[in-house]
Amino acid sequence: MTEELQQIVLWLIPAAPLLAAIITALLGPKLLRYKSHLPCWSALAVSFVCSLILLLKILPSVEQAATPVKGEVAIAQSAAGPQVMASGFEWFSVGSLHADIELRADSITAIMLTMVTGVSLLVAVFGSGYMSHDPGYPRFFAAVSLFVFSMCMLVLSGSFILLFVFWEAVGLCSYLLIGFWFQKPSAAAAAKKAFVVNRIGDFGLIMGIFLIWTTTFQIPGSDVLFRPFQSLNFVDVLGNTELIKVVALQNPGRIPLICFCLFLGAMGKSAQFPLQVWLPDAMEGPTPVSALIHAATMVTAGVYLVARCTPLFVMAPYAQMAVSGIGAATAAIAALTALTQTDLKRVLAYSTVSQLGFMFMALGCGAAGAELVTPAVTAGMFHLFTHAFFKALLFLAAGSVMHAMGDVIDMRRFSGLKHALPITHWTFLVGAAALAGVPLLAGFWSKDDILAVLKEASHSQEHGLYFGVIRAIAIGTAFLTAFYTFRAYFMTFWGPERYPEEAGHHPHEATPIMAWPLRTLAVCAAGIGLIVGPTHLFGDYLQKTMGLTPELEHHLHWSVMFMSSVIALAGIGFAWMFYVASPAIPASIARAMRPLYLISQGKFFLDEIFTGMIVLPLRGIAILATLVDKYLIDGIVDTVGKVPKSLSIIPRQLHGGVVSSYAGVMWVGVVAAVVLVLTMF
Amino acid sequence: MPPYQAINQAAGLIIPEIILLATVCVMFLAGPFLVSETGKAPVGLRHRWGILSLLALGAAMFAWTKAPILEAGAGPFRPDEFVWFVRGVSLVGGMLLTLLLWDQIDDGHAAEAHACLLAILAGVNFVALSNDLVGIFLGLELVSIPTYILLFLARRDWMSNEATIKYFLLSIFSSAFVLYGLSWVFGIAGTTNLTAITQKISAASVTTDLGMFQLAMVLIIAGLSFRLTAVPFHFYAPDVFQGVTPSSAAMLSFVPKVVGFTALLRLLPVCFGEAGFTDWMPVGAVRVVLMVLAILTMFVGNLLALRQTSLMRLLAYSSIAHAGYMLVGLTVGNSSAGTSGVASLLFYLSMYGIMTIGLFALISAAGTFARPLRSLSDLSGLSRSQPAIALMMAVCLIGLSGLPPTGGFLAKLNLFLAAWSEGTADGRILAITLAVNAVIAATYYLRLISAMYFEQSTVVLETARQPAAWIAGCLCAVATLALFLMPQPLWNAAVHALSHQ
Repeated sequence: MTEELQQIVLWLIPAAPLLAAIITALLGPKLLRYKSHLPCWSALAVSFVCSLILLLKILPSVEQAATPVKGEVAIAQSAAGPQVMASGFEWFSVGSLHADIELRADSITAIMLTMVTGVSLLVAVFGSGYMSHDPGYPRFFAAVSLFVFSMCMLVLSGSFILLFVFWEAVGLCSYLLIGFWFQKPSAAAAAKKAFVVNRIGDFGLIMGIFLIWTTTFQIPGSDVLFRPFQSLNFVDVLGNTELIKVVALQNPGRIPLICFCLFLGAMGKSAQFPLQVWLPDAMEGPTPVSALIHAATMVTAGVYLVARCTPLFVMAPYAQMAVSGIGAATAAIAALTALTQTDLKRVLAYSTVSQLGFMFMALGCGAAGAELVTPAVTAGMFHLFTHAFFKALLFLAAGSVMHAMGDVIDMRRFSGLKHALPITHWTFLVGAAALAGVPLLAGFWSKDDILAVLKEASHSQEHGLYFGVIRAIAIGTAFLTAFYTFRAYFMTFWGPERYPEEAGHHPHEATPIMAWPLRTLAVCAAGIGLIVGPTHLFGDYLQKTMGLTPELEHHLHWSVMFMSSVIALAGIGFAWMFYVASPAIPASIARAMRPLYLISQGKFFLDEIFTGMIVLPLRGIAILATLVDKYLIDGIVDTVGKVPKSLSIIPRQLHGGVVSSYAGVMWVGVVAAVVLVLTMF
Repeated sequence: MPPYQAINQAAGLIIPEIILLATVCVMFLAGPFLVSETGKAPVGLRHRWGILSLLALGAAMFAWTKAPILEAGAGPFRPDEFVWFVRGVSLVGGMLLTLLLWDQIDDGHAAEAHACLLAILAGVNFVALSNDLVGIFLGLELVSIPTYILLFLARRDWMSNEATIKYFLLSIFSSAFVLYGLSWVFGIAGTTNLTAITQKISAASVTTDLGMFQLAMVLIIAGLSFRLTAVPFHFYAPDVFQGVTPSSAAMLSFVPKVVGFTALLRLLPVCFGEAGFTDWMPVGAVRVVLMVLAILTMFVGNLLALRQTSLMRLLAYSSIAHAGYMLVGLTVGNSSAGTSGVASLLFYLSMYGIMTIGLFALISAAGTFARPLRSLSDLSGLSRSQPAIALMMAVCLIGLSGLPPTGGFLAKLNLFLAAWSEGTADGRILAITLAVNAVIAATYYLRLISAMYFEQSTVVLETARQPAAWIAGCLCAVATLALFLMPQPLWNAAVHALSHQ
């Protein structure tokens, strides 16, 4: 494939959704109306196909070209690994200020792109059935297209600057989509909350980028300071491991500080403790949006960022430990909260938070030893990959339930739906089993990888105890995951048939346009782990990414596999016992441990704690500031504002419309200028 | 070389201008024959003149792309890179202004009005082309005199008459200063040829002579400040803008600025003894005068604009304020270290032309010839009655206020960078003043946008179909956005314009 063609393919991936967004936004309300899904569908299909070409054709061919021919002197393969650059255009270049827009794709990008566009395509198909009677139909598809564009650009960015721009754009799209039904006050509030909490993370990200830019390096024995990172391009910052090592040696505090800042950004976007509060509320958006943004794609941006910056994190073991620790805390807290939620979508939202915690747990394992870095990142990214499929499936199935139940999502109000909604039932079951980690399904392989990495980390010399604790938390959380997932499953689909009155006389099963994405995703959720996991297709491909070292040996962790199978089945068994066999048990447990039950049901009261600790004091400051502003500042400003008013009295006199006075002032001006010249010489 | 050959050669350098002036002659001669003695004309005659005018501009543009770029000699013209840039600006701006004038003139007077506009554009080009003090002055008058007629022709009520007379008197007054300044230059140098003047100055370089040059330059600056609408030479602007049609106001807000800055950029380096723009920057009293003018103009324009309720007066003050921003670029000069102030000025001038012509085109498209938009309250609710026009107007206004995503943002950014990177205290003061004024200006521009989008309309205005003005407005709005995405060609052109040694 020629280089030009490669560039076109690369540009098409983000350009097609952008074009669709523009077309839908311009023509949607008047012309396309309920056909607005067509541009979005076709654009996403184009993006998906291009991503596949990138994944399967372009990158392998680039890699082949880079591999030295046998017999010649082995040229060290470029540190950046196989990559494709698509130069865009030099946006602006004045003096020393240069701003370029260019795309860069390597292995991790290709994997992310394929996942994002593929899942988005299915979600868009589902969405056209789900949203079919909504007056905001064109707006929905315009926003979805814009979101996919932003997400593609985020992963295709070749520099931290462009990454930040689209990091924000993704946040904006999420704001638009969470607040899609902005007439509902709760949706508007949730959108605002998501935006504000994300901004806290974004602050960290921009600080991290500034710190990278301002990092200086001194050549030993001389006074010359220079910037080790020539630009904010990934290749310049992350490409040279030796350089980062030298900088870290000379300036021990700098790299960890950068990593903490970047991780703060990741925490906001990927909903990690304590910034996870926005994600459950974001369920106010339409369910396809929840599936798309808050399960499969956007929330994975944080994981992607940390994985992408592995070369930096390697030099900061304590930052990596923080990543693992925060991940473990998030996973546990979210899982405990999910135990008692009665809103089906919220259970899934907390499970998303919990699974993201798992990914971060894995990403931080590199602290236990350099040889663990690559397996750790691989495990985290693999879980991200499989999670996208089964979580999108679960959300879409939940959307199908919601659709059938007349927008009721409270699990206490319906049960026994397995007869009325057969397709939804079996697809949800596949998703739930994959999430719980039932052997051979997608979630089993990726969770198994994470547990294996944690096990090896807990045997390390340095931080063995720390990772031992995290491993224990991970195992406990895996059990809870299986339990609460099947709790939701049994409560919804088993038991006596009950429907809320909003559902009408007879609940209707998903229409074909909604059913086919569910089936497709179910097949993926069931099989994709087996295809790319134990065969190491995924790992081998990902490890060509810049900063990772390809693993040569592969082994399957039989003991870990056995243990996690037992855990998953035990969790499912307990759920069956509690919610099918003897439904009285949960109530008695809740009575016996009432405080704990309340804490879980109250979501650990994090919202209330934040309100008390941050929102209320800030509001107090705001009131104070309002008073100061109203009486002190406004007074000053008003006085200042009166100055030009009073000053303008003289010019206004002159502006009387009399030509001779105009000419007079001109003459005075000339005389003043002449006098100035004469006094200067 | 025999004289006829020299004439031939010189004529070869000014083909775009010859095309324009030949069309002017055709229009003035043929125009009266198509109109009856009482001034009645066949309906739709203006379209024919408009098309002829566009054709002439198109032909001139073609000639412009083919025109040679030569070194300055002793001849009457010096078609260097700077001329190339000014011609481009005046021809493109002229096309937009022709579209704007299209429906803003009655059939009976269309020939003369379009002819005047073409003559003005030819005058602008001549100012840049001339290698002679007399030529420059003639060029300036070739801009002024048709302007008086154009202002008078478009509308003939008492307000317009008063505005035209005011402009006429004050313009003559200012021309006198320019001529006085030019005569000083001639008096010191003993010649009117710019190349010869440059050579004499660089050969002699006597400080007393330079002092006299400073005086001459200050007089020229003062006289040309009238055209730039720099404070305190700006008084006519609000009265005149209010009195004339939107098309004339658009012309007045853009073309005099182009010709003023062109003349200054031609004359000032010469008076400093520089042949080209390389490393040229104003020093001494000239710099002080330019700096004071810039700061005064920015502040007075923006502060008085805040208080206006008449749309045209407000835009007049906004036009004054923009002259102030551009003067910042002139004050900084063309130092090779950092961003070039003069290139930023040229970039800003082009950008400003697009945005302001677009705004006036849309204002005229939103009203009728008899009842154009006058006050701010006429704008309220425009987003509902005229959504497309309101949107494009908002784009132009955002551009004028210097916010992204418009080329206006980059234009202001360049000026700011140029002033700041100069490194002196003066430069910093100018940069900060510019930033402060951009904030003040944003208040009144955004007030216009909020009136269009958030207020209920109080008066119902009739709208006549004015496709030409609509097209002009649309082109400008698109260009305003496009130059944010792809500013490099325009910036390169501005840098190229100054590349002459």
